[in-house]
Amino acid sequence: MERNLTHIALFAALIAVLGLVPQISLASGVPITAQSLGIMLCGTVLGARRGALAVLLFLALVAAGLPLLSGGRGGLGVFAGPSVGYLIGFPVAAFVIGWLMERTTLPVGTAATAASVIGGIGVLYVFGISGLAVMLDKTVTEAAYLGMAYLPGDILKAVLAGLVTQSLARMRPASLLSRG
Amino acid sequence: MTRTETGVFLDAVSLSLGGRKILDRISLHLTERRIGILGRNGSGKTSLLRLIAGLVAPETGTVRIDGIDPFADRKAMLSALGILFQNPDHQILFPTVEEELAFGLIQQGQSPAQALETALTALRKDGRAHWAKAPVTTLSQGQRHYLCLLAVLLMEPRTVLLDEPLAGLDLPTQARLARRFAGLSQRVVTITHDPASLAGADRVLWLEAGQIVADGPAATVIPAFTAEMDRIGERDADADLAG
Amino acid sequence: MLTLTSPVEIWAHRWPAGRKLALLALATTGLFLLSSPLLLCLAFLATLGLILTGGAAFLETSLRLLRPLWPFLLIVALWHLWTGDLAGGTVVMLRMVTAVALANFVTMTTRLSDMILVFQWLARPLQVFGLSSRRLALAFALVIRFIPVMLDRVGKISESWRARSPGNARWRVLVPATLAALDDADRVAEALRARGGAD
Ligand SMILES: Nc1ncnc2c1ncn2[C@@H]1O[C@H](COP(=O)(O)OP(=O)(O)OP(=O)(O)O)[C@@H](O)[C@H]1O
Ligand SMILES: [Mg+2]
Repeated sequence: MERNLTHIALFAALIAVLGLVPQISLASGVPITAQSLGIMLCGTVLGARRGALAVLLFLALVAAGLPLLSGGRGGLGVFAGPSVGYLIGFPVAAFVIGWLMERTTLPVGTAATAASVIGGIGVLYVFGISGLAVMLDKTVTEAAYLGMAYLPGDILKAVLAGLVTQSLARMRPASLLSRG
Repeated sequence: MTRTETGVFLDAVSLSLGGRKILDRISLHLTERRIGILGRNGSGKTSLLRLIAGLVAPETGTVRIDGIDPFADRKAMLSALGILFQNPDHQILFPTVEEELAFGLIQQGQSPAQALETALTALRKDGRAHWAKAPVTTLSQGQRHYLCLLAVLLMEPRTVLLDEPLAGLDLPTQARLARRFAGLSQRVVTITHDPASLAGADRVLWLEAGQIVADGPAATVIPAFTAEMDRIGERDADADLAG
Repeated sequence: MLTLTSPVEIWAHRWPAGRKLALLALATTGLFLLSSPLLLCLAFLATLGLILTGGAAFLETSLRLLRPLWPFLLIVALWHLWTGDLAGGTVVMLRMVTAVALANFVTMTTRLSDMILVFQWLARPLQVFGLSSRRLALAFALVIRFIPVMLDRVGKISESWRARSPGNARWRVLVPATLAALDDADRVAEALRARGGAD
């Protein structure tokens, strides 16, 4: 029981830290926010239930007033803004990623990348783009053009999530709770 | 009163981690007030302490602390035994000093308000009232160590386990902490790499590769241990590491 | 830890967090039901007035918190200039700015600990699923405790990378950082167990 709780809490902290560190850039000058990568890792490492709970815990602290979203955003305002769809989509994405990880028999790295693409891009974008459409009063197609700006970066993050998960599986096989 | 009802009692206790035997059929009965554990890196000292504290269950054998199974009966263990971890950062659970101190007391059944009051009183008594609201990250390593000790002592356990309590601290801090340990009324089990600090111990255990190779009064175990460590240190290569 | 609560104390700080949240929920729902530019303009001015009761420094912070909205405002403005639907654009922009500013107002005037208490109260129905408010409180505390610890760790990982290689660690910190989170989770579980567990 304690281990469940501490894994959820520590990964909530990890999402925050990945959004706060500035150094994570793919090549000099191309910064990516690793925050959504943190969401993906919650799913690939912790599995569906724990992963989604970690993300919810993170969001609760953001709502409570900690500026933990990338770029130092936070507070209740971000839930009233146009990106709210992405925030709602975060825990769902982690859940879907974890759910897929728990069920597929693909090799870990491939599974984690595929799950991250499906959950962390496919599912997340449905929520995010719907949110943009509602908040900006646009059609879904119009909002989708806006949302697609993030696609290249997010594909890279899904690949990174796969690589990281694979390394973890190699270095510490017992640590992948999603595959327990 | 049977043998198992007071002190730290281990009977043929073994433990494996990652498929390797870390502790091998250890039997002990500790009733003395000051007990020291010596041993080289990786000899199994911390593992032994974790077993005694009930943080892991033994693979075979029995562990009893004042007659209580430390792994099964966590509630009863809170007043029986407290443990100070090797690294304070692995022990502190809360963002501020007062929350950290109050937590153990709440776990023991005090109301949050009462626990906070007890914690503040303890800080005041130590002349550290200004710590109460401080974020633990603003404390130095030595101060965090002290906070952990305070958190353990507040719960007034009958036995206190200390895992290398002075490692990495500067000399004045070491002296202060050592004085504090010496003044404890509890039974104290200390792991250390510094045999000299155990000179006043009632009993010293020497652990080697998961087994107790010497067990007796400080005056006999410490010289033997020091001589052996000197002998090993003389050799150029550490042949043990490869195995 | 740094929070978004305003250090400038105003009257709204003394209001109970629960009341502010309930009013915010009502007001936000209202904003999304309104579609008249005039009424939204009034709502916007009322919110501005609310913020101005906090004084100049408070206003400045409020404006800073609205900064992430600029790209969206720009896009909406350009879009509606292009389509010629100026009234529609005004509605969207006023609603967005007012809703976010109002929500930020509540965040700025409520202490983190008070907000967390409200969340714990709101989460009480979840007790049937085994989520006790004690455990929730513990989870919040653990995250707040370990964010600075892990930030420091990531910093050290990049440093030790730089100490032994010409380039920056960049994404290579990810594996050790995640491993560290997993290890910490195990150790913290043990420390928690040493002091009576999570229940
Ligand atoms: N979680 C673990 N999985 C596998 N092996 C472990 C684990 N923890 C410890 N060990 C191994 O158990 C042995 C004993 O470790 P322990 O930490 O008890 O040693 P120690 O005497 O406290 O050493 P030190 O003086 O370095 O603190 C070591 O060989 C260590 O590698
Ligand atoms: Mg040790």
